[in-house]
Amino acid sequence: MLLEVQNLNKRFGGLQAVNNLVFGAEEGEIVGLIGPNGAGKTTVFNLITGVYIPDSGVIRFQGKNIVGLKPYQICMKGICRTFQIAQPFREMTALRNVMTGAFSRTADVEKAKRKAEEVLDFVGLGGKKDVLARELTAIDQRRLEVARALATNPHLLLLDETMAGLNPKECDEAVSLVNRIRNKGVTLIMVEHVVKVIMSLSKKILVLDYGTKIAEGKAEDIRSNENVIKAYLGEEYRRAIRQ
Amino acid sequence: MQISVKSFTHPKGYVPLTFLIFLLILPLFLPTYFLHIAITMLFFAFVSEAWNIIGGYAGQLSLGNAAFFGLGAYGAVLLTHYYNIPPWIGGIVIGGAAAVVLSLITGLVCFRLRSHYFAISTLAIGEVMRLVFLNQRQITFGAEGITIPYKGNSILYLQFLSKAPYYYIALALMLLGMYITWKIGKSRLGHYLVAINQNQDAAEVVGVNSARAKQIALSVSAFLTAVGGTFYAQYIYFIDPDFVFGLGLSIEFALIAIVGGVGTVMGPVIGSFLLRPAMESTNALLGATYMGVHLIVYGGLLIAVVMFKPEGLVGWVGGLYERFLELLPRKEN
Repeated sequence: MLLEVQNLNKRFGGLQAVNNLVFGAEEGEIVGLIGPNGAGKTTVFNLITGVYIPDSGVIRFQGKNIVGLKPYQICMKGICRTFQIAQPFREMTALRNVMTGAFSRTADVEKAKRKAEEVLDFVGLGGKKDVLARELTAIDQRRLEVARALATNPHLLLLDETMAGLNPKECDEAVSLVNRIRNKGVTLIMVEHVVKVIMSLSKKILVLDYGTKIAEGKAEDIRSNENVIKAYLGEEYRRAIRQ
Repeated sequence: MQISVKSFTHPKGYVPLTFLIFLLILPLFLPTYFLHIAITMLFFAFVSEAWNIIGGYAGQLSLGNAAFFGLGAYGAVLLTHYYNIPPWIGGIVIGGAAAVVLSLITGLVCFRLRSHYFAISTLAIGEVMRLVFLNQRQITFGAEGITIPYKGNSILYLQFLSKAPYYYIALALMLLGMYITWKIGKSRLGHYLVAINQNQDAAEVVGVNSARAKQIALSVSAFLTAVGGTFYAQYIYFIDPDFVFGLGLSIEFALIAIVGGVGTVMGPVIGSFLLRPAMESTNALLGATYMGVHLIVYGGLLIAVVMFKPEGLVGWVGGLYERFLELLPRKEN
């Protein structure tokens, strides 16, 4: 097991954002994390990457507990993430944005630059490496976000709604990118609202509602799970798949 | 800024070189008063360059750099006064080390805070140092200030009867400050500082230890500022807590870099080369008319710069410089 989460809890005031969560990710897997808005998906990411410290629980990565480590230390261990709202270094070029990630593995400027160029080509931004991040389209900013994270050579990559608002063609490109990342040997956990996409990509899907895991399993099982339909997919969805 | 002297036949090579030679021979014909202004220009370019590392690249608005400056100045003067220790050791080594230690304490306390709160907390550090040196009268002579013991012409004690040696030291310091800034800017640390400045949370997530990067920047800045303090004490021969630890000085360091252009090698130099002569000339021309008129004019100038060139003058001056280079003869190889 690459990542093991045990009895994770996080409370914000009166709100139990994550409630006794247990789950894991095997090496090479794509784990989908779905659930209604406010279900605690992004909080789970923030807990894994050290942005928040859990109230209780254990997060084991490659067998070692990483609770209490700072975000940069967790990155050095091999976990990186993207943000739901892209957070590029706005006044830097695309290349320098990605170099910042590459510097986590080398202090050599030339090496970092080569690595960054390679990753930019990989995500399809090779032609825009000298464009300032703030001048990129919203979609390219998300690509840049993925590239910056990939440049840190993660074993585990957490993608937070990378595909929200994409048109079908862009969505297909994103799906192919995710597959290519997985084929490089990177394990992924994805928060996604585009249910069709997550069902096609992930063998294992986790459904959260009010911070609690209400279902876990293969796409087929999730799709027909009563709790999931009630909390998230909705009656509309049931009718749609029946037709 | 690319310092590649690949060709002296190209304006990019020979213009900076000509300017450097001009700076080197300047003391030979410049009258004393103007030489003094030139020294303050070079000197403020240096200390502002030091401020720029933490304030510009890392974007941490320090309003307490005078604390480091004062330690360099008092280290030099007090240790010569009590133990005859030359300012090289008393000011640069011991004063510089004290400034680095203070920068570590400052970092520990102030880096927990962000933006305005960081600025206010550094301001407090500077004020605390000023009050300590003001009140420890038995050792520091308090508000009376202290004059450095006279040693005549002496390289060991960094005292010279003419202004020219001070000028060359100030020039060397400025070039050193530019070189260090340029080196940092190109390195991983420089990239990290800019990233932290733009989005600290995003930087942390991709492996940037922001606390450490900012601490290194602050400590380098502190040390260089202390060296500036030593130079100031040796040049003026007299220091007092209200000036060398003063908020006015801290603001001046920041202001020069901001007007010139933060986070660039040339920004502080341009800022100092424009603001110091502006300060001196408004003082010389208007200082004797009505009280404070020169400060009003100087203040108006600052407002104009901040209004019309909020990103600093460096881009604008750089553009003019490029156009000037276009006009010059060149031989392409």
